[in-house]
Amino acid sequence: MKPRGFTYHQPKTLDEALGLLAASDDAAVLAGGQSLVPMMNARLASPEIVVDINRLASLDAVRIEGDRLVVGALVRHESLIGHPLVQERLPLLSSMAETIAHWPIRTRGTIGGSLVHADPAAQWPLAAVLLEAEIELQSQGNARRIDAADFFEGALSTTLAAGELLTAIRFRLPSAGHGAAFRLLTRRPGDYAIAMAACVVEADRPRRLAIGGVEPRPLDRSGALDGLTTVPEMIEAACREVTPMDDPRAPADYRRRVLAQLVGDCLAEALRGQAS
Amino acid sequence: MSEPRAVGRALPRTEDRRFLLGQGRYLDDITIPGALEVCFVRSPHAHAEIRAIDTAAARALPGVVAVITGADLAGEITTLRMAPAITGVRPTEIAPLPSDKVRFVGDPVACVIACDRYVAEDAAELVEVDYVPLPAIASMAGAAAEDAALVDATVPHNLVAEESFSAGDPEGAFRRAAQVVEARFVQHRQTHLPIETRGIACVFDPGREHLTVHTGNQAPHPLRTALAARLGLSESQITVISPDVGGGFGQKIALLREELVVAALARRLGRPVRWREDRLENLLASLHAREETVTVQAAVDGLGRLLGLRARIEADMGAYCFFPANYMMRVVGMILPGPYRLRDYAFDLRVHLTNKCPAGPMRAPMAITSWVMEGTMDAIARALDADPVEIRRRNLLEDADLPYVTATGERYHSISSRGTMEAALDGLDYVAFRAAQAERRDRGELVGLGICNVVESTTYGSAFYKAAGIPGSGHETATVKVEPSGACSVAVGLMTSGQGYETTLAQAAAEGLGVDPGAVRVLIGNTDIAPYGMGARGSRGAAAGGGAAYLAGRRLQEKVLAIAAHLLNRNSSDGLALEAGHVMQRAGGGLQPSGLTLADIARVAFLDPLGLPDGMEPGLHVTTSYDPPPMTYSNSTHLCAIAVDRVTGMVRIERYLAAHDSGTVINPLVVEGQLHGAIAMGLSGALFEELVYDDQGQMLSGSLADYLIATATELPAIELIEHARPDAMTPLGIKGMAEGGVMGSIGAVCNAVADALAPLGICIDSQPLTPARLSALIAAAKRA
Amino acid sequence: MTQHAITLDVDGERYELAVEARRLLSDVLRDLGRTGVHVGCEHGVCGACTVQVDGAPMRACLLFAVQLEGQAIRTVAALGDNGGLDGLQQAFHDVHGLQCGFCTPGLLMTLDALLRERAELDEATIREVVSGHLCRCTGYDNIVEAVQLALRRRAKAA
Ligand SMILES: Cc1cc2nc3c(=O)[nH]c(=O)nc-3n(C[C@H](O)[C@H](O)[C@H](O)COP(=O)(O)OP(=O)(O)OC[C@H]3O[C@@H](n4cnc5c(N)ncnc54)[C@H](O)[C@@H]3O)c2cc1C
Ligand code: FES
Ligand code: FES
Repeated sequence: MKPRGFTYHQPKTLDEALGLLAASDDAAVLAGGQSLVPMMNARLASPEIVVDINRLASLDAVRIEGDRLVVGALVRHESLIGHPLVQERLPLLSSMAETIAHWPIRTRGTIGGSLVHADPAAQWPLAAVLLEAEIELQSQGNARRIDAADFFEGALSTTLAAGELLTAIRFRLPSAGHGAAFRLLTRRPGDYAIAMAACVVEADRPRRLAIGGVEPRPLDRSGALDGLTTVPEMIEAACREVTPMDDPRAPADYRRRVLAQLVGDCLAEALRGQAS
Repeated sequence: MSEPRAVGRALPRTEDRRFLLGQGRYLDDITIPGALEVCFVRSPHAHAEIRAIDTAAARALPGVVAVITGADLAGEITTLRMAPAITGVRPTEIAPLPSDKVRFVGDPVACVIACDRYVAEDAAELVEVDYVPLPAIASMAGAAAEDAALVDATVPHNLVAEESFSAGDPEGAFRRAAQVVEARFVQHRQTHLPIETRGIACVFDPGREHLTVHTGNQAPHPLRTALAARLGLSESQITVISPDVGGGFGQKIALLREELVVAALARRLGRPVRWREDRLENLLASLHAREETVTVQAAVDGLGRLLGLRARIEADMGAYCFFPANYMMRVVGMILPGPYRLRDYAFDLRVHLTNKCPAGPMRAPMAITSWVMEGTMDAIARALDADPVEIRRRNLLEDADLPYVTATGERYHSISSRGTMEAALDGLDYVAFRAAQAERRDRGELVGLGICNVVESTTYGSAFYKAAGIPGSGHETATVKVEPSGACSVAVGLMTSGQGYETTLAQAAAEGLGVDPGAVRVLIGNTDIAPYGMGARGSRGAAAGGGAAYLAGRRLQEKVLAIAAHLLNRNSSDGLALEAGHVMQRAGGGLQPSGLTLADIARVAFLDPLGLPDGMEPGLHVTTSYDPPPMTYSNSTHLCAIAVDRVTGMVRIERYLAAHDSGTVINPLVVEGQLHGAIAMGLSGALFEELVYDDQGQMLSGSLADYLIATATELPAIELIEHARPDAMTPLGIKGMAEGGVMGSIGAVCNAVADALAPLGICIDSQPLTPARLSALIAAAKRA
Repeated sequence: MTQHAITLDVDGERYELAVEARRLLSDVLRDLGRTGVHVGCEHGVCGACTVQVDGAPMRACLLFAVQLEGQAIRTVAALGDNGGLDGLQQAFHDVHGLQCGFCTPGLLMTLDALLRERAELDEATIREVVSGHLCRCTGYDNIVEAVQLALRRRAKAA
């Protein structure tokens, strides 16, 4: 399990990185490498050019801009757990980050890499959809923002265009006093989830609920909750039009069964946690 | 005999230091300048004819030294003929590398030799093999089907072993029975998964015509014998050196094809060649294990006493027989009755070939037996609506029954199953547990207790092999030496892969010799240094290896004391003893130092032979072989308390207790560690591990993200209760242990889940107990 | 294949190397004699290859050596106390926290980093951290106990 050969670049500036990506149609961005390198070692991925973005310090920042928490693409899972801004304004992200893989993987893996990798059972795509995030993409001479809901296409597939780099994600900050919860089911802690649910409840906005690991991409089920008052009704509505995946990790009917429980627990906790 | 001093002490292990400092020397850590590295080209098909292999592009790649196929090796290596003289076993042959057809996904068809592994993998991708796919046999049912394709053209119906056994009068027992209870036990495919995968590094010296083989192997001498035979060399032309071994569990015993090919290549090329299996290869194509199904019918009387038992045993051998096809299943049949009184017993066994990775023995190859027998006890209890413990009490062999010869001729003389069961139940507080369980059940919780009594056959003596019709010997040999300075060593042909032999064999030899364990250096894992040994298999290390080391030490002590008596002008060595390297003499009520030390004696023995008693040979060394009794047994009782989540089907282990009789224990720390590890392996296998093949024979568990093993968060804290009864037949009363934990934990956890789900009318007859399966069963039960 | 000239800081020593970009850090460290960096899966799961990079535990099998110019890499060879065992290693020894020893260096690197960050840890947290490493021999009980023992001894000495 050794990778095929490739040409390696370690750009020091964003422009340089974008230039390198523009110049090749077989270039891969190397962020934390916690998804890309296993695939390269197994020779399931073999880019001709590897653009290592780990020296782009500008992508490694967390800040608040208005009602948005802006997280740079290169921010590691581990550093989100204890980040003061996250703890204060959006502790949900911290509790989600804690459940990703294991410590020696979290210290390296990045939020940008996770979003672009787009594993159906990954935590960050779910958070992005739940928190109506915008995703910032840049390519040589071009920059765009796209809603998370439009970014994820399917399992391991996004609308990222050739030559584009994900530079940041902008989560919408729920209002002070919001309630939030996250639940996932894994065989062992640190495994990719069989199913997961996350929820945010605010005084002045409709409730938000998203589920992951069940369909090939994270699903925003907030709409299903409109007008409902009891948790059992909400569970029923949220799970109704879901078509769970059937794979060796879990059969579809199993996902459906556990999803209801996860959604229920999540809603209950978020409602409890709201402005107490 | 004086009280043991070296044996029985919980000494932290000697070998730890180098491992903790990162200075272990595992295979990859052995530097061999100029060594080439290989990569095997493996079949993507489960079953296919090989039409042609084109290696030209691979050979042209810079850095590639050679590309070899089966045809190239034909004259250099003999095929492996597995043809034991046992009725019911079909002879089979295995070529070094297949050249006519491939039989499973991962079957090696060519071998690239290059300057390093990176380049070797590049070149392996360039080897073009023209395959014509054939229908694949992916299950035992498929193998037995009427018109099934043949995995091996010489094995009709894919049935490679078939055999029947009967003792007493099973028919009569079933006629007399008040009730016949039936049960089925389906165990799934697993693999050993040592964290260090397999590997080998070979150096051939053309001048001396000598092959030096470095390979992490549990049985270096038998491996050398096999290599010599296959390569046409004499055993004395080969040195097998086993470096530190990062776990074996049975995967590192037999000579498999990759190791053989690498050895041949080193000779052919006249250059050092090495191979280290990667994890994908290890999961796909090393050795698999445990895919077995046992169906039983138990004839019982009105009190649930077992009158007779019929068992049907089936196993999936995979694509090739690297072991006699009936070997493991015959042992399963022989030891199945475990600690229970049973006279009228019959079994038949069938072993099938399939287009899957070959199977081999894995730590506790007979593990299924305890699940089967204990699951049968529970089935009897359920059929009679009786307490499962009570049913066991009615059937267990008691002390008064010993010695007891089982229906298959096994002789128990020192087991204490009733004792370990009662000790375990006390440790748990069985009555209180059942009361709490009833309350929790009323609240809707799914709570269960699994009980598993284990009789572990630890140490196979030569007489066992002979009786079982399996070629092999159970003896072990040790050489204990004292050097002129007084430095001591013991050399044994066993090899450790984590069991702590460097500590325990020193303790055993020191016990015999009369020195401090820290003064004895253990020399293992080198066929030139250690006397021929049968290797570390089963749990034979302690009784066979420890027994031989102890006996050799004791004999050498006799010589030391004879010299001492001479030097002290005594008529005989009566009243002399060697303690911690000092010659002691009886004086008054106790032993007093004589002033002589082992070093003094050694000096005379080596450097002043004329000072020795008349006719005595100079030097201080003894080599002794020890052939243990036909079979030595340890026993244990495992209790596992679990709760199952109604929705997710997740099993949470709430308590795990094992009461064990491991006889005289050489080192309690090591024994405890072996129990922990074995219990963990059984639980992990029953709850998590599963090698999945689809119906085309494609393997779907090719990474550690698919093949899950239990980690620190899933495994319980393990409570151990010692209930030791020294063995009546072995030196020091050692029984050995290392596999019983696997047997006990599989049975205990499966029975616990069965107990938890029984109120829902669910019958647990197969593993693994995955959440998805359990959840589906619970959901279906609710609907019904 | 192009060779990259890099400078690596390993266990406080500087190495000037020429390496192919694709060479994994685990392999390069082993070539530098750090054979305590064990390779068990090369896909990030087993943890045997874990080293510290600027103090944080990371899988060496998922890093390319070329990426790490200027960063401080620590392997098991840097642990220990003047050639003897340090507190954590000693605790592993005393409670039989290792058998074949193959998983041990990786575990030590993660746990050493953990003990540097935290003075107190409950059993659940220790189990959680240990769960990022596979050990096929010990059943983990004694590994957990070793961490607890090391913590207790350290607290007493302080
Ligand atoms: C054992 C193990 C367990 C894991 N368990 C989990 C888990 O439970 N949950 C979970 O969510 N993840 C899990 N992961 C994956 C981990 O979170 C990865 O870190 C993450 O999926 C990818 O992030 P990365 O920074 O490592 O990206 P990389 O591996 O570097 O890249 C992943 C992909 O994204 C592309 N890419 C990366 N960054 C950018 C960018 N900024 N712009 C454009 N393209 C980019 C790469 O080209 C590549 O295609 C696990 C990984 C391992 C090894
Ligand atoms: S070898 Fe790196 S995690 Fe297994
Ligand atoms: S001690 Fe062998 S793998 Fe952990």
